[in-house]
Amino acid sequence: MKLLAVVIAIVCFVLAALYWTGTLQIGASEPGPHVKHAIVFIVLGLASLVWFRFQGARS
Amino acid sequence: MTFLQAMLLAVLQGVSELFPISSLGHTVLLPALLGWKIDRSDPTFLAFVVALHFGTALALLVFYWRDWVRIVRGLCASVLRGRIGDDPDARLGWLLVIGTLPLALAGVFLEKPVRHFFGSPALVAGFLILNAVVMFAGERLRRAERGPNSKPAQAIATLSYPSGAQIGFSQAFALLPGISRSGSSIVAGLLFGLTHDDAARFSFLLATPAIAAASILELPKLLVPEAHAVLVEALAGGVLAGITAYASVAFLTRYFHSNDLRPFGWYCLIFGTLCLTLALMKVIV
Repeated sequence: MKLLAVVIAIVCFVLAALYWTGTLQIGASEPGPHVKHAIVFIVLGLASLVWFRFQGARS
Repeated sequence: MTFLQAMLLAVLQGVSELFPISSLGHTVLLPALLGWKIDRSDPTFLAFVVALHFGTALALLVFYWRDWVRIVRGLCASVLRGRIGDDPDARLGWLLVIGTLPLALAGVFLEKPVRHFFGSPALVAGFLILNAVVMFAGERLRRAERGPNSKPAQAIATLSYPSGAQIGFSQAFALLPGISRSGSSIVAGLLFGLTHDDAARFSFLLATPAIAAASILELPKLLVPEAHAVLVEALAGGVLAGITAYASVAFLTRYFHSNDLRPFGWYCLIFGTLCLTLALMKVIV
C-alpha cells in the first residue's frame, strides 16, 4: 500500500506538471496551460503522500 | 445588468446556494422568467459571479469558524503524528478532504461541457423536478429505514471514509443546473444513517472548501480590465450574498433540528413544473 501511495503521488505530480505546461489537453475545453487541472492533481498528489505517511505509522 | 438586477442576483445566490433548491438552476430560470438579457459568458458577469461565490464562501467560513479551527488543527496534528487515531476533528477533516476530491475532479473535467449541453431553461426545469424527486425519495427511504428495530443514527465522525467519499461524490451531480449540491449531499448523508441535523452540517462543511476553492481559482476573472466596469456591483453583491448566505445557513441549521427536506422538494416540484411548462410553450427561452 505504501508503494501504491507513492506511485499515485508521482503520477499525480507528473499529470499536474503536464497540465500546468499545457502539454496535456485531455478533458480540457480549450488549448493552453490548465492551472485548475494542475492544482487538482497537486492536491491529489499531496493527499497520496499523506496516505503514505499514515501507512508508515501503521507498519 | 442594472444595479437592482445585480443585487437581486446576489440575494438569490446567497439563499439558493445553501437551500437545497439549486442556485445554478435559479440563476438560469429566474432571469429567463423575468426577461433579463444576461450574457453568462461576458467577462463582467463572470467577475460578478466570482464575487458572489467569494461572499458565500466567506459567510460559511465565518459561521463555522470554530469548527474549521478544530478541523485544521486536527488535520495538522494527524499528519504530524502519522495517524488519525481517535481524534474526531481529524477524522471529520479527512472525511471532508475525501469528500471534496470527487467534486474537484468532476468540476475541472466536466463543468464546462455539462453547462454547455444542459443550460437551456427546459432542461434546467426538468432537473429541478428531478431534484425534488431525489429529495422525496431520500426522505421516503430514510423513513423506511427508521423502523422500530433500526440502528441508531450515525454521528458524522463515525462515518466510514468510503461513505464520506460517496457523500462527496453525490455533490458532483450538482454540476447539472437544477440539481442542488446541498440537496444531493444531504440526501446521501441521510442514506448513510446521519440525522438531518448532521447531514446538513456535513453538507455545509463540504460546501465551504468547494465554494472557496472555486472562487479562489476564478479570482483572476475579477482582475481583468472589463471587471472594473462592475466593481461596485461585484463588491456590493459579494457583501449581500455573504449576508444572505450567513442568514440562510443560520436558518437551515435550526430548521433541520426538527424538519426535513420535503418542503424544498415541493417547492422544486412546483417551480420546476411551472418553468418546464413555460419553456415548452416557448414563453421562456
